[in-house]
Amino acid sequence: MELTLVGLQYSGKTTFVNVIASGQFSEDMIPTVGFNMRKITKGNVTIKLWDIGGQPRFRSMWERYCRGVNAIVYMVDSADHEKMDASRNELHSLLDKPQLENIPVLVLGNKRDLPGALDEKQLIDRLNLSAIQNREICCYSISCKEKENIG
Amino acid sequence: MHGFRRDKKEEEDGSGSHSLLHLDKSSVLQEARATFNGTPVVARKCSHVLTKILMVLNQGEAIGKEEATETFFAITKLFQSRDQAVRRLVYVCIKDMASISNDVIIVTSSLTKDMTGKEDEWRAPAIRALCRITDAQMLQSIERLMKQAMVDKTPQVASAALTSSVHVARTNPEVVRRWLNEATEAASSSGEGLVQYHAIGLLYTARKHDKLAVRKLVSKHARIANRSSLACCLLIRIAAKALEEDDSVPNSGEMMDFIEGCLRHKSEMVIYEAARSLVGLNATNPKELAPAVSVLQLFCSSPKPTLRLAAVRTLSAAAAIQPAAVSACNLDLENLMSDGNRSVATLAMSTLLKTGGESSVERLVKQISSFMADIGDELKVEVVRAVRSLCEKFPRKASTLSATLAQMLRDEGGVEYKSALVDALIAVLHDDNDARNAALSHLCEFIEDCEHTSLATRVLHVLGREGPKTARPAAFIRYIYNRVILEAAAVRAAAVTALAQFGAHCPQLLPSILVLLRRCALDQDDEVRDRATLYIAIFQSEDQSLISSFISGEMHYSVTALEKSLKNYLKTSCSEEFDMKTVPIATPLEQGITSGSAPGSAPIEPVVARAKATVKEDPLEKVPQLAKYSPVFKSSGPLALTEALTEYTVSCVKHVTGSHVVLQFTCENTLTDQLLEDVWVQVEGDLEIVEIVNIDELKCGVQQSCYTVVELPDVDNLSSTFTLACTLKFKVRDCDPTTGEVDDGSYDDDYVLEDIEITVADHIQKVLKADWAAAWEELGPQNELEDTFALSAMNTLQEAVKQIHSFLGMQACERSDNVPEGRSAHTLLLAGVFRGGHAVLVRSRLALSNGVTMNLSVRSTDPRVSNLITQSVG
Repeated sequence: MELTLVGLQYSGKTTFVNVIASGQFSEDMIPTVGFNMRKITKGNVTIKLWDIGGQPRFRSMWERYCRGVNAIVYMVDSADHEKMDASRNELHSLLDKPQLENIPVLVLGNKRDLPGALDEKQLIDRLNLSAIQNREICCYSISCKEKENIG
Repeated sequence: MHGFRRDKKEEEDGSGSHSLLHLDKSSVLQEARATFNGTPVVARKCSHVLTKILMVLNQGEAIGKEEATETFFAITKLFQSRDQAVRRLVYVCIKDMASISNDVIIVTSSLTKDMTGKEDEWRAPAIRALCRITDAQMLQSIERLMKQAMVDKTPQVASAALTSSVHVARTNPEVVRRWLNEATEAASSSGEGLVQYHAIGLLYTARKHDKLAVRKLVSKHARIANRSSLACCLLIRIAAKALEEDDSVPNSGEMMDFIEGCLRHKSEMVIYEAARSLVGLNATNPKELAPAVSVLQLFCSSPKPTLRLAAVRTLSAAAAIQPAAVSACNLDLENLMSDGNRSVATLAMSTLLKTGGESSVERLVKQISSFMADIGDELKVEVVRAVRSLCEKFPRKASTLSATLAQMLRDEGGVEYKSALVDALIAVLHDDNDARNAALSHLCEFIEDCEHTSLATRVLHVLGREGPKTARPAAFIRYIYNRVILEAAAVRAAAVTALAQFGAHCPQLLPSILVLLRRCALDQDDEVRDRATLYIAIFQSEDQSLISSFISGEMHYSVTALEKSLKNYLKTSCSEEFDMKTVPIATPLEQGITSGSAPGSAPIEPVVARAKATVKEDPLEKVPQLAKYSPVFKSSGPLALTEALTEYTVSCVKHVTGSHVVLQFTCENTLTDQLLEDVWVQVEGDLEIVEIVNIDELKCGVQQSCYTVVELPDVDNLSSTFTLACTLKFKVRDCDPTTGEVDDGSYDDDYVLEDIEITVADHIQKVLKADWAAAWEELGPQNELEDTFALSAMNTLQEAVKQIHSFLGMQACERSDNVPEGRSAHTLLLAGVFRGGHAVLVRSRLALSNGVTMNLSVRSTDPRVSNLITQSVG
């Protein structure tokens, strides 16, 4: 199975990869310059995971790595209210690309352990996920730190 | 590697066309996208396609930004494959596409992961690729990793980091300077030799503009024993380069000791490098050369052909400078002449020609003939040069040698070889009267059957110049006129001119020459006809001054300058007559080669020729503010106004024009913590400043020029020497040497320089008169001045000649600057043109009696000039 992991910077993408690959959580991460490629084997399933940097200069390149994958995982920092609008815009403009039609999307609201974090319903609302048609879409609230809802 | 292996197999099968030949760019790129984006990726297939991409790139096909980027991103997908061959090809492709694709920084994270990862095979290539894709802004983010990698315990990784840093230093030197602590650590590591070598290479690249730091680098690492051979060779080169640039440095002795110490190193490579550097250092004297020569002598009998070749090549170079020092190896060199390797044998022989005594010349020359057929043109030219220098060294053998040269001239050979031979024969003409007739007839024979127009015209020119001076000039006419009948237009024209020379110099031949010229006037080529018609008209006028100025006289103007002046003239309204006096005069170049050397010593041709080669381009044209002073009449050589290794180094070139002197000050700021602004040089003294062009900004390590223009008084008020006191004026801004950040505030400062003198020599341009006596007669006695001086400070005639020659800055004619040994009297004949176009001739009769007594006669077209020169000597 091939997945691409995108989302704004500091939403916890690389941390998420580390947690599901090896169960290790680290507070102290450096921004991803470009992308990381990881292969993770869980039981009978091997997942190829493209973890792409979230800084503005890399956002135009997300699409190149989303083409033809089994699913796009979109990471959101659910406690960062200021960046919520930017996150929504980036998600919608990514999903508008004709090449990515019909690819299922999983939206993960990270950092639910922090005070003031939005829950699934609030996320669906703020990210306007109901407007997305013609594809499978799912939203979960997780915490890499507490390893909640991951597994 | 399976990709390669399969290709190899196909090749061996001989199954027709190779799969990597005749690749179509767009289909390869198409295939790449399809293969790399597919799932799953097949390693074998991918390496083959990557190889194809590399092939297309290396064939120089232009790939557009758009398609390159598409392909690049497809390649990045291959980071999912852990196949060794694929991954390593991916690194190579990333490097090759780094400059043609957009957004290459996308692979930064993946590469940094690989360079710090567990897979050793990937670390070094990942570093190399990373340094290629990282631009100036991103460099900071990889600094820590690079520093770590430099001191990594895996030698490949450390070497990769160090060599990549050398590349980065080219574009971002200030960043790499922050990595030098780690590089120093790597250089001192006792482990792998290659790491030391690369580390020293990086340290040198980063600091090569800082002479002091280079010196410290050498002395620090010279002390460490157990150095790798490669690092040692590099240190020798660095030391030699530093010495070559500036041998007046305080601890040059230490560097020299280091190089000499390396002659006793245990590695042959280091010993050879040290010997080669010692030979290459210009300042080397025979004593310093001896140890180098003796190790090279040992190498001559080495069983390894590479060592023998290296040794004999270096000895050959040494023989050009110091033949005496190399003569100790004569026996070994003679043995090498029968070496199985042709190149070794030939070099040995040409070296022997330089070092051998007079007695062995004939034997050696005989052996040459057996060689010549087997060796390439390049080596043949080498041999010809050696024979030529022999002619100069042993004038008595010149006729034998010129016979050998003539023999070679009959053999097959390219134009370069033939032209070296013609050069050699012409040099014999200059040098020796006995051999002149023989050499001239060899040249005559050569042009009978010469396919190179350029050589034929050159020989005809020489015949025209030298032929009339021989006992039987009529003998040459037939050869020359044959050219008129048989050759191409350019050669015919040259032949016509040569004929006219005979007409002008040999009155008894004039009637026959006129007959021949009339025939030439019917030629079908314009140039040939024009020349013939002009010469006939001049001869028929029977005006001697016309004949001497148009036929027998020589043109002293530089042709390029004349062309430029004429073009400028055509841009004006052309209402005034064109003034020949505004055209700069060419200095006689080739004369320097033969006259520069004292009798007995072998001439160092390349050195002299390089020193004499003046820049033909007008330096003032490049500076818009100064173009109005152009053209330059004479430019002096650079004159240092500061000691070497001071805070600011300044040198000055004096460009004398019609009525001004443009002083060009080349300044260099050696302080890393200062930025200089508004730099100019104030001059004070007898002359008024009329214009200043300053340097806006002078950074550390950059050379730039500022100009100060002073006006010269007219000839009446000209005194023989002007002295100008110079001060460098500038504004200083302090700046941080590491970051390059500049402070806002600035303050004025100045720096006192040495004085400049403008002497008589600066006003006079050298001119070569072939027939000085005729020119002297022509000027006539009306402006002649005569005076007698006692030069008590001089002890020999040669010394006096040298002094007068350089003081007046005029050209010595008829080789009168060489004093034959054992004479007590000598006459020095000088010719030149004074600023403004006045011809000047000086005859200086010298006699040796308790010091040197000189009787000086000056003739000039302007009485004031004669006066000035006489005064200046007194």
